[in-house]
Amino acid sequence: MTVEKILLEFDAELKNLLPVLKKINAEFGYVGEEEAQKVADYFSLPLSKVYETASFYDLINTKRQPPLMIQVCSGANCAVKSAYKIISEIENQLHIKAGDDFNPNVKLEIISCLGQCGRGPIMIINKKIFTQVTPSSAREFLHNYM
Amino acid sequence: MVKETKIITKNWSQIDPNEIDDAIEAGGYRALEKFIHKMTPALALEEIKLSGLCGRGGAGFPTGIKLESVQKEKGKEKYFICNLDESEPGAYKDRSIVDSDPHMLLEGIIIESLIVGARKAFIYVNGNYQKQIEILQRAVEQARAKNFIGEQILGSKYNLEVEIFAGAGAYICGEETALINSIEGNRGEPKARPPFPTQCGLFGKPTAVNNAETVANIPWIISNGGKKFATIGSKKSAGTKLFIVNGCVKNPGVFEAPLGTKLADLIEKYAGGMQNGKNFWFAQVGGSSGRLVLENDLVRKLEYDREAKIPLGSGAILVVDKTADIHELLLSWMSFFRRESCGKCVPCREGTYRLWEIAKRLQDGEISERDVAAIKDILWTLNNTTFCPLGKFAATAFGDALSNFQKEIYRLSK
Repeated sequence: MTVEKILLEFDAELKNLLPVLKKINAEFGYVGEEEAQKVADYFSLPLSKVYETASFYDLINTKRQPPLMIQVCSGANCAVKSAYKIISEIENQLHIKAGDDFNPNVKLEIISCLGQCGRGPIMIINKKIFTQVTPSSAREFLHNYM
Repeated sequence: MVKETKIITKNWSQIDPNEIDDAIEAGGYRALEKFIHKMTPALALEEIKLSGLCGRGGAGFPTGIKLESVQKEKGKEKYFICNLDESEPGAYKDRSIVDSDPHMLLEGIIIESLIVGARKAFIYVNGNYQKQIEILQRAVEQARAKNFIGEQILGSKYNLEVEIFAGAGAYICGEETALINSIEGNRGEPKARPPFPTQCGLFGKPTAVNNAETVANIPWIISNGGKKFATIGSKKSAGTKLFIVNGCVKNPGVFEAPLGTKLADLIEKYAGGMQNGKNFWFAQVGGSSGRLVLENDLVRKLEYDREAKIPLGSGAILVVDKTADIHELLLSWMSFFRRESCGKCVPCREGTYRLWEIAKRLQDGEISERDVAAIKDILWTLNNTTFCPLGKFAATAFGDALSNFQKEIYRLSK
């Protein structure tokens, strides 16, 4: 699927800007400058306006993402079930810090609430959701991706 | 178990959410038929006002008054938006409504849209709720096939289109002006009010925004009358509420209880009490933005009341036991608000960031005297100077924790 094909699925109305950006993000993993420029042309908007919107939302990336994305929920429900122990376990295991962009191959991100609080703590590895995670099970799940 | 009054949950786990015929058999869309064949929008609005229903998203604004101000706007183009951007940590009531009975929600959306005179309704769904988006899409298609949506609904003069709009992961988009910005393709930042969305909302047109749980109450009110609804619940706030009880209780989950139920009863009777061997420390009512309730306040009633000591918020209740680490909780709250602060106003953007830094230092035990002085300053600023309520929310739990658990937080010995 090319950007042009995605754009043709939508009318050039402002209410379609966010859906278009999400779809491009789903297809390419991020909305880069080249893609954003095409979107801007299609909607007759300045490039800065497209970036303004794209950079605001968590579900849209404006940079290429590393091949291994780990996300851990730290909402209060998961936090009281030792989510922070899981986070430091992963930090120690992979020698990274949560939120850092330095490693091009792996990123650990702290997120909040996916509405699955009953089954927390929640960990997501490359979009696959793991529930009721413990520090040791987190280590095992990670091994399958290394 | 307690005897329950069921309005929203009456069909839960009895019908297949993907089958409109199941919903119709269980009494679904009768309220819509009643509205179309026997009522006028003005009459239906009167029922809603009589019911005393107020917004279930957190602010508790009377629904009837909101609908009325959109209804009396003159323009032809109006919008109705169902707010399903639930992203408060610990809240998953709206998601449960979609999972269990999406048609009740859809029926409410159709009726409310027709009452205010909207020809287009949006359902703004949290972008992370992929499964729920699919359920809703199916529900809308099925309702269209039955002519509950579309042109000349059930042979009447009413027309309505319903569109599902998926969010992209921003807590602030639950605020109605930010939500409207987001549909318009802008950053999801709140706008100054007035003008209120009821006069100048989506694309500059009058717009009614209602929380999904509020909407789900509408079919019942239309079917059974506003007066009957007003007898349920407490004197100050009518009806039932979905409470989400989480944490160290035996049966965490979503419960429907009349407003005015005591917090202690919710924990004991609905959620089965504390888990074995766990001692109650405090409960947080209303999600991450909620206040902390200690043991001596457990007898308080939970209701929508502007003067209430415990604002109900979205109805999420987190029960915390004595083994929990207060530093981790502080960090959890602050890292949430730091991420979700939209950055539009400086007090909130900087305040949440600094409190997050301080929470990290608190956890590491590296707190300085300067930090202690700064906390007070930051909390005051968040409480009094931010553009939208998010700043105030960020200060609530942190401030409560500080005034109640100073000893634990600063690791003071007695």
